[in-house]
Amino acid sequence: MRYIWLIGLCATAALAEQPILFPHNKHMALGLECLDCHSTADTRAAAGMPSVRKCMLCHEKLATDRPGVKQVRDYAARKLEIPWIRVYGFSPSALVKFRHAPHYRANIDCTTCHGEVAKATVAEATVTHNMGTCLSCHRQKKATEDCVACHY
Amino acid sequence: MAHRWGMAIDLDRCMGCEACVAACHAENNLPVSDPAQAAKGRAVHWIRVDRYYEGEFPEIRVKYMPVLCQQCDEAPCEPVCPVYATYHNPEGLNVQVYNRCVGTRYCGNNCPYSVRFFNWFEPKWTAPLELQHNPDVAIRPGGVMEKCTFCVQRIERVKLDAKAENRPVADGEVQPACVQSCPAEAMVFGDLNDPESKVSRLASSGRATRLLEELGAKPKVFYLQRGK
Ligand code: HEC
Ligand code: HEC
Ligand code: HEC
Ligand code: HEC
Ligand code: HEC
Repeated sequence: MRYIWLIGLCATAALAEQPILFPHNKHMALGLECLDCHSTADTRAAAGMPSVRKCMLCHEKLATDRPGVKQVRDYAARKLEIPWIRVYGFSPSALVKFRHAPHYRANIDCTTCHGEVAKATVAEATVTHNMGTCLSCHRQKKATEDCVACHY
Repeated sequence: MAHRWGMAIDLDRCMGCEACVAACHAENNLPVSDPAQAAKGRAVHWIRVDRYYEGEFPEIRVKYMPVLCQQCDEAPCEPVCPVYATYHNPEGLNVQVYNRCVGTRYCGNNCPYSVRFFNWFEPKWTAPLELQHNPDVAIRPGGVMEKCTFCVQRIERVKLDAKAENRPVADGEVQPACVQSCPAEAMVFGDLNDPESKVSRLASSGRATRLLEELGAKPKVFYLQRGK
């Protein structure tokens, strides 16, 4: 019995990296669009993270009994943003710039680069991003191969 | 048609205020050098203002000349790079790919305008200056060469905005930081492939000369001054 409790504790510790366990699948099932929360993926370089005020549009009233939602409400009451831990992203030392907007306009689905986030319970890096993956698609779609489009 | 970016600088308007230098430092995350390193010639300025004195005091006249990477069409820095870290892009920019650079410094050595700089050390900023870093521009590590990019991050931004709105890039829409900050409007940036652009008209006016033209590097920065 004690061992099962220990294993359970370890599993939670591994997942508890994010400040709150945010389930994409439950929210996508409500009929939300990716852009409702990552609202600058169509126009800007960064897709953008939703502010806690956006969560509170629903969680002022909805599912307030869930432990995760209680945490969200707690952040909102203290007027703090939720310090999400980044899943994807190049370190500054990679010296590379990515922009979402041109890809959105080229009708490239989010799943191509992020996997089935809509079905995920926790956001995980399921797709590798490196110069090879960028350029093989760029070559195929006749998009730019000029170094300075990505490196500056 | 592809763009071909170029600049015109009116020396009769420049009064040497160095606003361009300050703006460039802020836009492009240039570290502030310390006096000891500067004395060794290791200060990094992607644009500088050279001074020329004419006559003897009190009959003296000072002429100012902002000098940045001339984005040469026949760039002497390019063929000497053993690893192809510097190359010409389709829009005529002389590009430095920091990822690729191994720091031989051959390019800087071969540049007749002394506008390429080597990062001898990791760049440092005294707090809180690191908070003003421009996220659109890479922080270059130690051991690589760097130089003016004509603010390529702004060029990319404007091109993508124009594409999103399904229109061509307007003349004067791209403004590198130095051009934008010049209070005398001495600097003009634009597309040399567009014969109607302001920079094209200035470049083909009788007042235009290019720096060390006899070397044949074909710079794309044009200096304007009244005929002698
Ligand atoms: C209700 C708001 C909401 C919706 C709708 C939503 N997301 Fe998210 N997304 C978040 C939050 C909050 C996080 C941060 C938590 C995490 O990483 O688990 C996140 C994280 C991510 C990440 C990881 C970001 C990183 O690098 O840290 C990706 C990728 C992502 N979402 C893609 C999508 C896609 C694709 C869709 C549409 C299928 C979508 N999201 C819909 C709120 C949302
Ligand atoms: C469109 C309304 C809506 C928005 C916006 C919204 N949620 Fe939710 N959320 C819900 C609903 C409804 C549930 C209950 C879903 C269920 O049980 O199937 C829920 C459940 C949750 C849960 C509990 C999951 C569980 O079952 O334990 C968490 C945590 C959560 N939301 C966090 C967030 C965060 C963080 C944001 C802001 C990025 C957010 N939500 C934005 C509607 C919303
Ligand atoms: C061509 C590949 C590609 C596509 C398509 C793409 N992304 Fe991304 N996404 C990335 C990369 C690469 C990063 C890391 C960017 C960085 O570090 O600068 C990223 C980062 C993110 C992040 C992290 C934070 C941020 O603000 O950028 C979110 C959220 C995200 N993407 C959501 C989306 C959504 C939603 C879509 C669909 C509208 C989408 N992405 C489409 C490649 C892609
Ligand atoms: C699945 C295909 C695909 C992948 C993967 C992809 N791209 Fe793209 N990318 C495109 C397409 C298509 C365009 C052209 C859009 C246009 O012409 O409007 C584009 C355009 C761009 C642009 C704009 C260039 C310009 O000046 O027109 C940049 C920058 C860019 N991609 C960077 C990246 C980076 C960095 C990665 C890797 C992290 C990446 N892309 C991965 C398909 C892809
Ligand atoms: C479509 C975008 C794109 C283009 C175009 C591109 N790169 Fe890259 N490059 C990347 C990405 C993304 C990485 C980062 C990979 C990583 O961190 O895993 C990278 C990494 C690199 C690296 C390795 C850096 C390291 O530290 O390991 C080098 C070298 C490099 N690029 C050189 C070039 C050169 C030279 C060109 C032009 C011929 C070029 N790149 C064009 C996206 C691009």
